[in-house]
Amino acid sequence: MPKLTIEDLKRISEQAKATMTLRSGTARAKVTVHMGTCGISAGAREVMAALLKEIETGGVTDVLVGTSGCAGLCSREPMATVEIRGQPPVKYVDLSPEKMGQVFRKHVMGGTILMEYALAAGSETTG
Amino acid sequence: MKVVKLKVDGVETEAEDRTSLLTVTKKLGIKVPTLCYHPIIEPAGVCRICTVEVRMRNRVRLVTACNYPVSEGIEVLTNSERVRRTRRLIIEWLLSRCGNVKVLNDLAAEYGITEPRFGRGDEDCILCGLCVRVCSDVVGRHVLGFFNRGTTREVNTPYGETSEECIACGACAYVCPTGCITIQDEEKLVRQELPMGPITPISIPFMQAVPAVPVIDKASCVYFKTGGCQVCKSVCEKQAIEHTADDKLVEFEVGSIIAATGFQSMDPTRLSQYGYGRLGNVFTALEFEKLNNASGPTGGRILMADGRAPESVALLHCVGSRDKNYHEYCSRVCCMMALKYAHLIHEKTGAAVYDFFIDLRCFGKGYEEFYNRLLEEGVFFIRGRAGEVSDFAIYEEERGKLIVRCEDTLIGVVRRIPVDMVVLMTALEPANDANNVARLLNISCSKDSFFLEQHPKLAPVATPTDGVFIAGACQGPKDIPDAVAQASAAASAAISLSVRGRVEIEPVTCVVDGERCAACRICNTLCPFTAISFDIEKDASVINDALCKGCGTCAAACPSSAITARHFNDRQLLNEIAGVCA
Amino acid sequence: MAYRTHVLICGGTGCVSSGSFELRGVFTAELQKQGLAKEVQVIITGCQGFCAEGPIMIVQPDGVFYCGVQKKDIPNLVTEHLLKGRPVKKLMYTPPVEKVPIPALKDIPFFAKQRLVVLRNRGLIDPERIDDYIAVGGYTALVKALTEMTPEDIISEIKRSGLRGRGGGGFPAGIKWETCRRAAQKRGVAPVVVCNADEGDPGAFMDRSIIECDPHSVVEGMIIGASAIGCSEGFVYIRHEYPIARERLLKALEQARDYGLLGNDILGTGLNFDIEIVQGAGAFVCGESTALMASLEGKIGEPRAKYIHTVEYGYKNQPTNLNNVETWANVPLIVNRGAGWFSSMGTGDVAENPWGGSSGTKVFSLVGKVNNTGLIEVPMGISLREIIFDIGGGIPGGREFKAVQTGGPSGGCLPSSLLDMPVDFDSLTEAGSMMGSGGMIVMDDHTCMVDVARYFINFLTEESCGKCIPCREGLRHSLRILNNISDGNGRPEDVDLLQEMGEVMQDSCLCALGTSAPNPVLSTLRYFKGEYEAHIKDHRCPGGVCKALVEYSIDQQLCDGCHACVPACSTQAITGKVKEKHTLDKTKCIKCGACIEVCKREAVLRV
Repeated sequence: MPKLTIEDLKRISEQAKATMTLRSGTARAKVTVHMGTCGISAGAREVMAALLKEIETGGVTDVLVGTSGCAGLCSREPMATVEIRGQPPVKYVDLSPEKMGQVFRKHVMGGTILMEYALAAGSETTG
Repeated sequence: MKVVKLKVDGVETEAEDRTSLLTVTKKLGIKVPTLCYHPIIEPAGVCRICTVEVRMRNRVRLVTACNYPVSEGIEVLTNSERVRRTRRLIIEWLLSRCGNVKVLNDLAAEYGITEPRFGRGDEDCILCGLCVRVCSDVVGRHVLGFFNRGTTREVNTPYGETSEECIACGACAYVCPTGCITIQDEEKLVRQELPMGPITPISIPFMQAVPAVPVIDKASCVYFKTGGCQVCKSVCEKQAIEHTADDKLVEFEVGSIIAATGFQSMDPTRLSQYGYGRLGNVFTALEFEKLNNASGPTGGRILMADGRAPESVALLHCVGSRDKNYHEYCSRVCCMMALKYAHLIHEKTGAAVYDFFIDLRCFGKGYEEFYNRLLEEGVFFIRGRAGEVSDFAIYEEERGKLIVRCEDTLIGVVRRIPVDMVVLMTALEPANDANNVARLLNISCSKDSFFLEQHPKLAPVATPTDGVFIAGACQGPKDIPDAVAQASAAASAAISLSVRGRVEIEPVTCVVDGERCAACRICNTLCPFTAISFDIEKDASVINDALCKGCGTCAAACPSSAITARHFNDRQLLNEIAGVCA
Repeated sequence: MAYRTHVLICGGTGCVSSGSFELRGVFTAELQKQGLAKEVQVIITGCQGFCAEGPIMIVQPDGVFYCGVQKKDIPNLVTEHLLKGRPVKKLMYTPPVEKVPIPALKDIPFFAKQRLVVLRNRGLIDPERIDDYIAVGGYTALVKALTEMTPEDIISEIKRSGLRGRGGGGFPAGIKWETCRRAAQKRGVAPVVVCNADEGDPGAFMDRSIIECDPHSVVEGMIIGASAIGCSEGFVYIRHEYPIARERLLKALEQARDYGLLGNDILGTGLNFDIEIVQGAGAFVCGESTALMASLEGKIGEPRAKYIHTVEYGYKNQPTNLNNVETWANVPLIVNRGAGWFSSMGTGDVAENPWGGSSGTKVFSLVGKVNNTGLIEVPMGISLREIIFDIGGGIPGGREFKAVQTGGPSGGCLPSSLLDMPVDFDSLTEAGSMMGSGGMIVMDDHTCMVDVARYFINFLTEESCGKCIPCREGLRHSLRILNNISDGNGRPEDVDLLQEMGEVMQDSCLCALGTSAPNPVLSTLRYFKGEYEAHIKDHRCPGGVCKALVEYSIDQQLCDGCHACVPACSTQAITGKVKEKHTLDKTKCIKCGACIEVCKREAVLRV
């Protein structure tokens, strides 16, 4: 790929934002599985597999799936963040493949937050 | 270089900026203990025993003197209580590992430690790493290294096995402060191949060498192998060592030349029946001389390749001498040399000595008496030239030995004598490049290639060329007294020429008539005394009167009859003939 | 001068990357244009914790909350809301209709007290996609550094920010960069930048997490550093035990190379720089700078004893600027948002002198006997109490706090009396511990301080390279004595001997591992000497940990005869019938503690 110029950087930024932030994209929801070493060792890969299976069997096309690093609260891994367009992201903790399935069906598809597994909503305070 | 002021134990002093603190304390005569420091190796600051207290800009800290670079205005305390406390604990810690090491116990006494609080261990190595560093940084071989980590750290060779990289230089043992490295099987390692040259890279070639200065053996010097070391350079106070120096061709103008090219020991490989080079423990006389020498590789001990002393030794006379296949002449010195060896082997090792001779030639003062003494000492003299040396055992007692087969002509029996070591008394030959010298100096050689003297009785040191003399074994095999006598004579002859300051020459010389010379230069190559050269300007050959012996070869050969032999010209000769016939 | 309305624009990293700074400019210009500049004040605030919908804007005193504001919305917003007083419905946040209220993340103490700078992108971006990083404003700092700043500008910005090395030493990064640049210029030798990712402290995983969740922030920091110092060669020294981090970093380097952010002529500015990853072989000592460089060169990872800094003579004798992962990750933000923003967080005044305080944030891995364990980022100067009790959620099981160990194995243990101490470089050092790379281990009253010291000294004994005598032998004997004490064979003079050995090691060891190695012993001796004496004189372990000194018994009052402990005991030391008081035979007991774990009534006593 040819080298970037400073203008290219801005363009990539705009394009990537579209896919990441739901706001201007076509997706309705985004699920992020936190896959740091802590998450993976607590079972994040299995949780991810369960999530992908749900999407495949349900034939869902408007949900983005992403991975990310550790969310900080290592003692409550595996964690996932569910974000529905227009709503603050909700963090789920202590997940298992079964719980992930429930979260997907109830929250992502059904729109109801699964209070038993949810930790909180919103974003963290940055600098 | 910048000079800085500093204070050591209250004494103000000056030093070059960034020199190590230890060199400063040394200069001041202040004693700072060291263990992992050696002047030829870059300091590593490992043992921490040279810890001193340094105050710099109101900041006080402990540093190691061996590698701390001095700077402007520092104040150093080499023996404060804080320093002493640190050193005491380091000594105690070390004693807990190596309780019987002398340097540590000396230090302990100095620091008032009688009962170390952690007890005394029984190891020898304090892990200072000097050996590792000298091997890699100075010698450049990387044979030794550290293994494991922390408390299990140890010094060893790769995989703990004998390393082929080791050149047995002994540098590690030399720098070890506790003496825990010894060079094992020294003789065994050295004797695998008996070195005939110098045994250390720097040595004075032999005791009587002139000038008596050490030389570097490029073949074994670490510097020429790896580019490292150069320790000799750092310890030589006169700074006389120059590794980059090259061999030089030096020209001298001299009045006379004495040729003393000596002899060489014949290579007995050709006499395959004696197994030299094929069987272990078969040596030439010269090799045995080296083995027996106190400054040789074994320190003068007579040992076999496996490091054992021999229990029986055979001395074989006339190897290559008195033999029509090789040298017909008698080498003259071997008989007495063999007797000397027989005596020394008997004295040093108590081994049984068998001496195989054709006939013993013990001429000269005291020699016959020496032979008689050996008979009393119990040396076995067997008359008969040894036929073969082999390792093929037939009888049980021959197993693992060398067997010398020979006809004992006194009792008329063929004998097999098993021995541990065989010494071949090899023939003395002219040095193999002596003929180059002969050609250069115009010396004639006899049929055995030794230089020929002008006359065996009347001119034993002179040669047909004026001003060229010969001395020593180049003229024929002779022992040291004879060689010295002949050398003295040659020296006198040479001196008598230079003392007079002038040379009287015979009037009988040849002369070239420049007008008639056709410049063919035939005479130039014919002259046996190299007296004729060609003068380009005159376009004619000219004869050097000082060199010309008036032999007339040139006169006879000159196609244009341009050369006349003075006092022997055609007219004179014809007149003489006429006079005789009258 | 009073304003009638305040407009609060979020200045959190999330919103800044969504363009909130640009928004402020447009907003102020629009206010000028419409003649409201004297009535309405625009203020940049800290993060509002709603980054997903940024940029966020709050109009006070109306309390109207706008989100996702774009530049084109502003003229309309100013006219409608600020001039006419009609809030713009289209931009207002509509809370989702929920049956049950769910707590906001920022109301949970674990998150509320944290301030994410280095970890700004944690959980938000996919670390394996460079586009994600670029979308949240990644590599804009690099553009700024390369196009708007000279190397001297960058160094001066870092210096004024007061950024101090996050690897443990706390050496001001700006001064280090400057020294490196000067040494290289003076000697005419190419300098090198190195990132230390050889995080070896037990219980610490800050660097791993940073690389795992945001590798490009480290890469960008290093490129900026390289341009400031003038390097074309960089290394990341990462430990072998971090395979995921290494993989993500490798991928990040590859992507950056594809985009021309590494290699020759970066972004067309003429800067040439590339980074190579070097794997460590698992030695703790390789985190020490000189040992790390020896290892980089392919030699045995042992520190060297030279009174010359690696910043002048480091990797292959080139001037080498070594910073740790967290330090590098801070760099892009400082360049982007300025030294003033960075130094507004933390303690002390660093504007003139970077040694004057501790600015910015610090990432800690909070582990041990604490309810919420994990990776936290807090502003410098926060108290230990806030970290342990607010963020950490206190000690599990209602137990009592005993000590917190900071700074990794060579750090120290701080007692409850120091809980209100601010956490910064200088306070921690003064208290006999250190910042280290940011490990924080919380201990409750069931912890034995002698055992803690013994654990860390044992770790260090195994990790000591053994090169210098004080470290090798001092640790060996310290460990032996600590083992004796915890086995009940301590002698009265041992306490003084440990103290003396510790002080001499601090004075005389060759490298930082050795000089800080006695910290676990010295700090526990300083704050918990009583426990040592209890072990030695009374043969008692107050924490109930040292097996040789504790005995098990069953409280006859509390035991309800549930019988759970009987099958748990592997040596049949407990006997008793169901629903009757049980008894424990001390001669058979091997003090394994299995009975304690199963007893629901806490009737098994360990004293």
